[in-house]
Amino acid sequence: MARKRKFGMEHNKAKWGFIFVLPSLVFFAIFSFYPIFNAFYLSLHKKNLLSLRPPQFIGFDNYEYLFHSSDFWNSVLATTIFALGTFIPLLVISLLLAALIMTRRRFQKFFQMAFYSPAVLSSVVAAVIWLLVFDPRGLGNQFLNTLFNSPGVDHKWLATDSMLRFSTMLVYFWKYIGYFTIIFIAGMSSIPSQLHEAAYIDGANRWQGFWRVTFPLLKPTVLLVSVMSMIQCLKTFSTQYLFTQAGTPSKPINVITMNIYNTAIRDHRIGRASAMSVLLFVVMLFFTALQIKSSKSDDVSFM
Amino acid sequence: MKKFVVVLLFLLTVATLYFGKNIEIVYWTHTDTARTELENRLIEEFEAKYPNVTIKRVYNEAKKMGDLVLTAFSGNNGPDIFNLQSEQLFSYMINGRVSPVDFKALGLKDEEALEGEYSKGTFNPVTYDGEIYGIPLELTNWCIYINKKLFRDAGLDPETDYPKTWEDMLVLADKLVQRNGEIITRRPFDFRYPYYLVSLLPMVQQLGGDLVSPDGKTAIYNEEAWLKVLNYFKEWGMHGKNYGNPTYTNARKVWNKDNGDIVMCLTGLYQQGRLRTDNLEFFNSDDWMIVPFPVFEDAVNDNGAAYYGQYWMVNAQASKDTQEWSWKFIDYMRQHAEEYLADVNLMQPINSLLESDLFKSMPYSDVFTKDLEKSNPVFVHENGKMMEEKIGVAIQAVMLSGTDPEEALEQLKADIQEILDDSY
Repeated sequence: MARKRKFGMEHNKAKWGFIFVLPSLVFFAIFSFYPIFNAFYLSLHKKNLLSLRPPQFIGFDNYEYLFHSSDFWNSVLATTIFALGTFIPLLVISLLLAALIMTRRRFQKFFQMAFYSPAVLSSVVAAVIWLLVFDPRGLGNQFLNTLFNSPGVDHKWLATDSMLRFSTMLVYFWKYIGYFTIIFIAGMSSIPSQLHEAAYIDGANRWQGFWRVTFPLLKPTVLLVSVMSMIQCLKTFSTQYLFTQAGTPSKPINVITMNIYNTAIRDHRIGRASAMSVLLFVVMLFFTALQIKSSKSDDVSFM
Repeated sequence: MKKFVVVLLFLLTVATLYFGKNIEIVYWTHTDTARTELENRLIEEFEAKYPNVTIKRVYNEAKKMGDLVLTAFSGNNGPDIFNLQSEQLFSYMINGRVSPVDFKALGLKDEEALEGEYSKGTFNPVTYDGEIYGIPLELTNWCIYINKKLFRDAGLDPETDYPKTWEDMLVLADKLVQRNGEIITRRPFDFRYPYYLVSLLPMVQQLGGDLVSPDGKTAIYNEEAWLKVLNYFKEWGMHGKNYGNPTYTNARKVWNKDNGDIVMCLTGLYQQGRLRTDNLEFFNSDDWMIVPFPVFEDAVNDNGAAYYGQYWMVNAQASKDTQEWSWKFIDYMRQHAEEYLADVNLMQPINSLLESDLFKSMPYSDVFTKDLEKSNPVFVHENGKMMEEKIGVAIQAVMLSGTDPEEALEQLKADIQEILDDSY
């Protein structure tokens, strides 16, 4: 009798749980799952965005085309350079900043807010602000020329390939550094203070305390931040798009997402654009799976 | 008697249903403050004349119009009326997304009657398979606007020293440019960088070259002409004499400010309307002038910048009634071509308008007309946008990366050929 009641309660709970989850499921089905499946479907078809004719099945031709396209491989290279050049400094410096902020007794909240504030700006606004900074007569040149006492030098922020890549990385770094710093701060706050106290009693200094206690216990957070920032970097679009709209060379910063956009919207080749989206999706899926797998094996218990 | 009443009631019902049917027309266009005022008034008048019609005018930034219209059409949700630049319209015609002009709604007998009202060649960019698909909102060619004060500052006489050839332009640039070290503080001139089919391709055509061979099968016709133009841009860019490059702010907006940042810019007659809105004092002054598009000294063709149009088109997926009323509204707008010219400086190429005192009395309208007469229409191709982008890559390579023009041309040729051969 008791078992039956328990089953009834569980069933009831599950029913209400399902009802509460249903709106989100419907939302995801329409706005996430359907586009994903549609992209898979279209990637196997030839379809002009403006054509009223139904898509024509061509098997893996779109993928084959991409593997032979120098434009696609240039995008792979641009995305890889951007992702590595942004994600490594993001990871290292956000960790250091978090450690620094955690050691402050005063103004801790102020620093957190100050670093986080660029993350609330839209990427478009951020790119527009930085375009003004990178203008030959803008703050970028003025700052460096004052710093190095080199009046009249144009650092060509938006012109040469390497500086242009660096400029896009800088915008992204500025925008997301605070976000990842906050995640590290949350991770550090969850480490019980007794562990540090015990280490200090045993004679450890602050440096050893950080590397021997804090850092090993932060491993899941480090992994979370690295995967999140890597995925975020692979999805980058608006900075590169706005920069090229402002007249910068497109080749060095033609990341995959921008290539997808141009292939679909400018060239009307929605099948090829979908094939690129699917490939990007697979790469991101790999990183997500890696995160899930690693976070399970690296679970930290403070008990 | 009973039968008569029944028939009368039936006819009344049908008439009410037909004449009383409300039509809502959605019209997408690009931003232009002066034109918005004019068209809002025209919409009010049209709605008052035909109470069953409501027109919803939506405006978007000119640069984004192409993407927005495309996205809406790809979702089968395009506006009933829209206007786009001629280079962007070809795909809409070949894919059956727009309807041919309804001559009856325009109060015209046929195609010949329509063409007879406009200057020759007006409908070439919007004719496909023998049918006309658009009515011009404006037809534009670009000439050079000069700030005379800045010419005088450099010890030059604008009336006599203005650039007649592209070689003159280089010599003048050297006298007009001002720099703080490597940083340019006064640009002599700015090419309309992203619009290479309108401004750069005509320079190649002056030297006898073209984007594709006359049979349309081979990319880059007359490599020598292309090489000369690429070398010219390399000399202009940061690896040459450093007179400016595509990363500097769009010149025509800066030019209106008359703040000493830029001496010359390349733009259309419509710029005068914007100048009047942005800087009335400068507009009313005698400190600016307009001169023709220069030619190379060894040019084999004396053509100006390519002319292009903004054309009104009607969505073929709209209901028949909506299409008919859309054409009627377009007709109403084109009937006010004089106001478009007087208030917004937009020229609809209607013969009577081009011959009118109003047009002839407009500052430098003769410069535009003379250049237009010797110019070619802008290059139109299903993949024209892609090709323009590839020209941009070549220009950026020589101006910003210092790539050898021969190498840039090789790459450009391969890219354009790939687009031509791609049967997607």
